[in-house]
Amino acid sequence: MYSGLKVLLCDDSLMIIKKMGDMLRSLGVGVVQTALDGEQAVRLFKLSKPDCVFLDQVMPNKTGLEALKEIISYHSDAIVFMLSSMGTIAKRDEAERLGARGFLQKPVSADDIKTVLELVIAELEDKTGKDLFKE
Amino acid sequence: MLTQLFGNYLLKQHLVSPSHLIEALRESSSTRVKLGVLAIDAGLMTPDQVDEIHELQRIMDKRIGDLMVEKGYLSPEQIATLLKSQKSGHLILGQALIDNGHMTTAQFADAIRQFKLDNNITDDDFYDVKDELTEKMLGRFYKLNGSVAGEEHLVEYVSLLFKNLIRFVGDDFVPNKIEKLDTTASGAKQRIRHGLSAITIIDADENTMVEFASRFSNESLSMNDDYTKACISEFLNLHNGLFAVKLSNNEGLEIELEPQKYYEQMDLSGLGNLYVFPVNFTFGNVNFIVAM
Repeated sequence: MYSGLKVLLCDDSLMIIKKMGDMLRSLGVGVVQTALDGEQAVRLFKLSKPDCVFLDQVMPNKTGLEALKEIISYHSDAIVFMLSSMGTIAKRDEAERLGARGFLQKPVSADDIKTVLELVIAELEDKTGKDLFKE
Repeated sequence: MLTQLFGNYLLKQHLVSPSHLIEALRESSSTRVKLGVLAIDAGLMTPDQVDEIHELQRIMDKRIGDLMVEKGYLSPEQIATLLKSQKSGHLILGQALIDNGHMTTAQFADAIRQFKLDNNITDDDFYDVKDELTEKMLGRFYKLNGSVAGEEHLVEYVSLLFKNLIRFVGDDFVPNKIEKLDTTASGAKQRIRHGLSAITIIDADENTMVEFASRFSNESLSMNDDYTKACISEFLNLHNGLFAVKLSNNEGLEIELEPQKYYEQMDLSGLGNLYVFPVNFTFGNVNFIVAM
């Protein structure tokens, strides 16, 4: 049911890129794009307009929050979820204030991702009024 | 965590050799704690009484619990309660050492009694380990009494580190104290700044890194390649992130992390005060270093 989704996954850790990428693909997500720093994430977002973005917080060449700010200012409806081991209340509040839809505390499980994908689908269907992703 | 500190205690008291301890830690996952060890640990039976029951069992075809009740040492209710503590780590470790013939039941009984006395801990502490207790014990263990600025956070840092090691890598380790520090290290590094200023490092040899990363990633890795290095770095990042959450929740102290990075060789000189926390896993030694 997620085959129509295009997801951008951004983390400077090869381990997270592989682990989360595998989780997304095994859940059936159609397209998984990856970026290794905040700058790449912003560039890829503008190029490919993914349905949803997972953004790590601590990264070189633009932090996750800096990238979030740029993505939201480029496209205010962008669906972005932060992804970090540093899920302090201050960081969560700041991410929310900057327009993130949610905050995933690492280590992230397949269930966490599934919950997020459900939210993404609900929002996209709500926006278009169509049953977009049910198969 | 008390199990790991107990392991170190056995080493420091020369009650077991490092290789015997490693062997017992390796076997812990398949060791079942026997009723005799449980009864001694709870102070319900003496080692002599347990030996007597073991002797009796050799000649009588009866269950050990039934013999203990028949001899009037324990009630059926006490046996039921004891069996509930069968999964306790320090007892499993003790049982493995006894099974391997590296300690007698009496030596184990003495060691565990002395360890509890020295650290002022009760039986309940073993089964419901509170953060404050672990921090107090680790503070004493590493002689971090808060006299140097930032040391109080170091105790919290190490206490959480051991919890995360048990959670994400394995409990088959003993913490150690540094004897001699090299001037260089090889491994992952991450800087903490803002509310606290420190550099954190994981240092180990290549084979140890591969096994550590295999366990953390739940994959079977065979060489110290970029992926293995990314796993090691991510463990450091995960631990530091969880430390940031703890500091923020408990003390309202906010810290920032810089991106983690892996170095083939790092020069440790000039990094400030170095605090080294060596951890002896059954597969190799890992140094966790904090420079403040």
